[in-house]
Amino acid sequence: MLLIKNKCLRSFIRIFVPFILIPVITVAGALAFDEKKHIIIALAVAVSALLLFAAGFEKKSTGTRRMVIVAVMVALSFAGRFIPFLKPIAALTIITALYLGGEAGFLVGALSAVLSNFYFGQGPWTAFQMLAWGLIGLFAGILSEKLLGSRPLLLLYGALTGIAYSFIMDIWTVLWYNQGFDIKLYLAALVSAVPYTVSYAVSNVLFLFLLAKPFGEKLSRIKIKYGV
Amino acid sequence: MRSFSEYNPIVTAIWFFCVTGIAMFCNYPVLMLISLAGAIVFFIMRNGLSHGKTHLFFWILFAVLALANPLVSHNGKTVLFVMNHNPVTLEATLYGLNSAVMIIGVLYWFRSFTQIMTSEKLLYITGALSPKLSLILSMALRYVPLFSRQSAKISSAQKAMGLFSDDNIIDDLKGKSRIFSIMVTWALENGIITADSMEARGYGTGRRSQMRRFGFRGADIALLIASLLLFGITAAAVGTDSLSFEFYPALNAGAPDTLGILGIISYGLLIILPMIIETEVNLRWKYLRSGI
Repeated sequence: MLLIKNKCLRSFIRIFVPFILIPVITVAGALAFDEKKHIIIALAVAVSALLLFAAGFEKKSTGTRRMVIVAVMVALSFAGRFIPFLKPIAALTIITALYLGGEAGFLVGALSAVLSNFYFGQGPWTAFQMLAWGLIGLFAGILSEKLLGSRPLLLLYGALTGIAYSFIMDIWTVLWYNQGFDIKLYLAALVSAVPYTVSYAVSNVLFLFLLAKPFGEKLSRIKIKYGV
Repeated sequence: MRSFSEYNPIVTAIWFFCVTGIAMFCNYPVLMLISLAGAIVFFIMRNGLSHGKTHLFFWILFAVLALANPLVSHNGKTVLFVMNHNPVTLEATLYGLNSAVMIIGVLYWFRSFTQIMTSEKLLYITGALSPKLSLILSMALRYVPLFSRQSAKISSAQKAMGLFSDDNIIDDLKGKSRIFSIMVTWALENGIITADSMEARGYGTGRRSQMRRFGFRGADIALLIASLLLFGITAAAVGTDSLSFEFYPALNAGAPDTLGILGIISYGLLIILPMIIETEVNLRWKYLRSGI
């Protein structure tokens, strides 16, 4: 990070944010604010998680080649968001994570969200979308050995993350609308979002089914050829 | 003489987050109405009366949001009428209306934000936070039009080779997926070449420079201080419960004390700031032109 040049300070942030700041925000927020202000806590946690990631990424000496490949994947999933009804972002994020690791997956998910929202409309939900898609990529990277080994497992992961993404974004919708969590409104939001949930799950499964193998071949070829 | 969108992007972004922050995290009806009115005026000032579809979409959403709460939530004392054995209460209706005002206001603000924060300014801000992320973002932005140009090239090459005809659906799909596959391979290879070229020219050896320089001028600092000050007063008023409004179980609006009134005034001023800047610029521009 350019703003934080001191190495000690940077590593301090890497430890401070996840193990102290986020729990403190959560606990203190739950105690200090009444139920109506939970949305502040949610947003603060989302933003600090993203900042933590940016700090960690900046510190690592990631090769230029790897970064450019990530940029290519971000551009592809950004372009894919223009396909009507189907949303390939999560599928491309998962594929990147499988072959280039969880960190690259996180980046592709989070950056595609922020970039494509310049076209589809930024909003307070951008931070949550970034975090949700980023985490889908991060977990795919962690589970990559198992997911690469079995195709049904990969498709199942795609379907589950599609549903989970929709459910998480609905929590945010309710928090924002009601300024507090309300189970009845949440259920209503879930029901009204069923078409979206189905479209997320179906497009994840469809695109993973269609693209996982060819993309995998191309990415591993690049990896072997250029040693990314 | 600069219009609001030409101020330093960091200052503009901070102003936006001050305005939307209050609008999102507070549910005091007066502040919500100020925010919605300001957002609409600001949007119309920048766009004139175009963007009819956006307005239509927002107001349909407004109606849906305002109606959702009284139909789902049955809190509140004053029952207006009973529908399907469920009471529809005055409090829940007003609460829904208030939430709808809040959400539509924030949506209008973010629409203007998207227009003002062009990708160039986004890169300026992310460049200050993290140069590497900024690089990936700027490359991805460049790749999107590049990909569409390249796939047009590949498609004409394939057609010239007689490899695909459009009249058969299966053939069409096969051809399109072949083009996509070629495009992806090309994109990845091209990316590697770009990376090597960047390194050969000394990427990462020094500080990155910006295409356009956004300096911090006197007016930027003044706008920044004014925004933070006004935001501070409003946040203090909201945080100390000077502005409290209870919807449930019955409407209960405590009269705002001095701090509360100050908070409302400063939020209004905060929202008017860019409009003053724009108006001043427009007037001066007219004056200068009339002098020619």
